[in-house]
Amino acid sequence: MARTKGYPEALEKKLHDQRYYREDSSPDFTKRVEGISRTIAHMCFQCGTCTGSCPSAPRSTYRIRKFMRRAVLGLENEALTDPDLWLCTTCYSCTDRCPRDIAPTDVIMAMRNMAFTHDIVPVNFLKTVTAIYSSGHGVPNNDVNRAARERLGLTRDPPTTHMYPEYMPGIRKILDHYHLKANADRIIKEREG
Amino acid sequence: MSESTANHTFAFYLGCIAPNRYPGCESASIKGLKKLGIDLVPLKGASCCPAPGAFGSIDLNVFYAMAARNLVLAEQMKMDIALLCNGCYKSIWEVNHKLKHNQDLRDGVNEVLKEIDMEYKGTINVYHIAELLYNDKFVGVSKVKDSVVSPLTGARIAVHYGCHLTKPHKDREFEKEIMLNTEHPTWMEELVAALGATPVEYRNKMQCCGAGGGVRGYDIVHSLDITNEKLINLKEAKVDALTDICPFCQLQFDRGQIEIKEKFGVSYDLPVLHFAELLGLAQGMSPQDLGLDLHAISCEPFLQKVL
Repeated sequence: MARTKGYPEALEKKLHDQRYYREDSSPDFTKRVEGISRTIAHMCFQCGTCTGSCPSAPRSTYRIRKFMRRAVLGLENEALTDPDLWLCTTCYSCTDRCPRDIAPTDVIMAMRNMAFTHDIVPVNFLKTVTAIYSSGHGVPNNDVNRAARERLGLTRDPPTTHMYPEYMPGIRKILDHYHLKANADRIIKEREG
Repeated sequence: MSESTANHTFAFYLGCIAPNRYPGCESASIKGLKKLGIDLVPLKGASCCPAPGAFGSIDLNVFYAMAARNLVLAEQMKMDIALLCNGCYKSIWEVNHKLKHNQDLRDGVNEVLKEIDMEYKGTINVYHIAELLYNDKFVGVSKVKDSVVSPLTGARIAVHYGCHLTKPHKDREFEKEIMLNTEHPTWMEELVAALGATPVEYRNKMQCCGAGGGVRGYDIVHSLDITNEKLINLKEAKVDALTDICPFCQLQFDRGQIEIKEKFGVSYDLPVLHFAELLGLAQGMSPQDLGLDLHAISCEPFLQKVL
């Protein structure tokens, strides 16, 4: 960590708390989280404004402050394998209120991105990917809605990829560029057979 | 007020839930804004924004590239984007903002877009229709008021602002400063009052609906418990309807009430309408024209009060 850079040697030694890193901490986790999230996670002083603002906190064991600490301490395994990671509704209340102008929500998103590279991801996220791969929409049209649209004077299918499927190959190319569909299919198959 | 000739034209980005579940939001936006001098033209070939919770959680690079593709479609039309969903705003506005200000992200996105003969140039802006309605540079509250032919007199209406239009306010760049107030905003209440209804405050107004971040799919009970807390607070305020500016929040409050009844055994029967639908009603569109019958929770009690 560059946090003590520029301090007198004695102070630097004092600040270099031996308990700062545990055996299972990876020092570059903080840097990777900050790289993906583009937020200054290491500036967190653990005030707890984030957890106090969080709609998920009162009804679960999810504590955004804890994830912020894990980000700073480099506790990669602990952060990425905690199922609470997926309870953030991304309401951005914590980010809105953080007195250090950090975006804890984006730290969570970065950790989720990193978890996904280890195949740690709830299946519902992957199903949204496969829906978009096939129709371009996360919530596709259906016959009841087509009839309703017609009644409202709208086209049966909206003028999106639904009405212009010729745009679909481009979308699939983008998703395939990142091997997203292949990975999603593989993980869904492993989980659901 | 007579119908003015359209003097602003936007590419209308629809997203998924509005056109495919609540088409009344789409038709009311097009017809309602037309009366207010705004033409919304189709953004052909648009896809999911993509869903910020699902895609952002899996791979932010895909999220940026997919949103950029939608932005490029509008750039090719040389038009700014107007949209009606907070989730879409988060994806489309925020990615546009990020790509405009981060050359490395833009280069990364353009490398992918090159494969489909597209290039993000950063030439357009993105607006939510609520912002267009509130900002007098485009419409403004008084013009909205002038367009009302069937005022929603006597109806007590609460506002659900949702999260992703205004939060985090530090990153947003609204021209109207009041829109940057995320603790206790009142600008939507001004719009509700312009339709002749009585805006009602309630406890913890700015709380999330509970649907976002993939939580609705990951843990539906957890997600509905957040919604339920909001519904308890709304019931306490004795409102006739809840209005939102996000079809995903609308889905969570509307269909969510059915799910809450099944899972928690509580019913609220609170009609939930997108502000575009309310605007349509006040401008004289019929409930049938707005597809209000597609809502899971009947809007009848509210309609009887205002029609």
